[in-house]
Amino acid sequence: MRSAIVLLLIALPLPVVAQNSQWVLVQSTLTWHITHPVHEVDGTSHDAKGKGNCSAAGCDFLIAVPLKTFDSGDSNRDLHMMQTVRGAQFPMVIVRTHLPQSALDAATIDTDLEIQFAGQTVHYDHVPLNRTAHGTDVEITGTVPATCSDFKIDRPSFLMVPIHNEIPVTVDATWRPM
Amino acid sequence: MMTFAQASGNPHVIFSSSPAPSSSSLVSSIVKELPDAPVPTDGQSTAQQNQSPSQSQNQTQNPNQRPNQPQPGNAPTLGDLGFTPQQIMANADLQRKLNQRTHDLKVHQTLGLVTVVPLCATVIVAGGAKAKRNRADPTGPPIAPSAGAVDLHAALGASTAALYGFTAYYAIAAPKIPGVKPKGAIKLHRDLVWIHAPGMILTPILGGMALRQENNGEKVHGIASAHSYVAWTTVGAYGASIVAVSWPLHLKFWEKR
Repeated sequence: MRSAIVLLLIALPLPVVAQNSQWVLVQSTLTWHITHPVHEVDGTSHDAKGKGNCSAAGCDFLIAVPLKTFDSGDSNRDLHMMQTVRGAQFPMVIVRTHLPQSALDAATIDTDLEIQFAGQTVHYDHVPLNRTAHGTDVEITGTVPATCSDFKIDRPSFLMVPIHNEIPVTVDATWRPM
Repeated sequence: MMTFAQASGNPHVIFSSSPAPSSSSLVSSIVKELPDAPVPTDGQSTAQQNQSPSQSQNQTQNPNQRPNQPQPGNAPTLGDLGFTPQQIMANADLQRKLNQRTHDLKVHQTLGLVTVVPLCATVIVAGGAKAKRNRADPTGPPIAPSAGAVDLHAALGASTAALYGFTAYYAIAAPKIPGVKPKGAIKLHRDLVWIHAPGMILTPILGGMALRQENNGEKVHGIASAHSYVAWTTVGAYGASIVAVSWPLHLKFWEKR
């Protein structure tokens, strides 16, 4: 009887520990893609930082990345991007999402994202993200279907032809439980 | 051609983000089986969206964005992520510089392309502006060009040089952004200045010398005889500079994505 009580006391806190967990972003690749009739360009950053706090109420994740860390391979283009998206005035892209704990185990996570970028806050509902486990780490991949008009960005032009409105951002982020 | 699907490596995601309503029943049935496309909203809940669809295109504007503001519950904040204050602070002066830089470089780009017109015209009329060998009397003196042809060539050359000067001014006047080193195609674009800028100065000087020698009844000689070589080198470097700043060109733009 005594051993059963001891076992019960040991086992009880386990769900509490599991619920109040934290995640940290250990590796990330974020890439924007622009399309123009004569240009296809990608800009990549590996400098995002992120954290996730889980409790019984669910998990809150935050990812942020400085705009100036995106590199398209051309310093002139990167500076123009910074100007166009008002990157000195709003230097960070901030993404927040809230998920139920149960969603973290799904192969495809249906997320509602809140994105702060270029002085605008835009919500993207039902963005599917793919989840792959690598030991304790979890890799999340997907694409945010961002557009210039969502963030009130004046589309840059080349030879008087503006880029396409779509600027999809691909995400590859590896999270580790703390 | 790279497509969104190729860019993301995730065709499922691309399908989901394709807003393609169709009247075709086949397409409709396929679309019905797909998950809902991600849609940007205005910070309202989905229910609110349904009540007022006209608001769904609006975004929340936060000109005084405060990324460090506390979040409800146990949601992490930017302060938890360890960014330095310099990384997250707005810099109005830098934004002003970036705006001025973009303005100046847009003028630079426009003037640079406009300069191509008199540049090409100068080259085209160049043939009529130089003395030609008399085929009827090969041993006799060369036939002098008409004054009109020479004047046209000189006027177009002067226009080219003037426009080039204005073009260069806007590139030089554009504010420099501290800590940014030229990288990529822009580096070659800037390096080519060392060829076409001296060429743009030297070409009209040599042309003037050549014209003076011809007017004196002399055969063009000395450094003046390099006028056309310097001019062609300048034209080549100028053209390469335009291509360099546009590189890499996606040439198969006619392909359907």
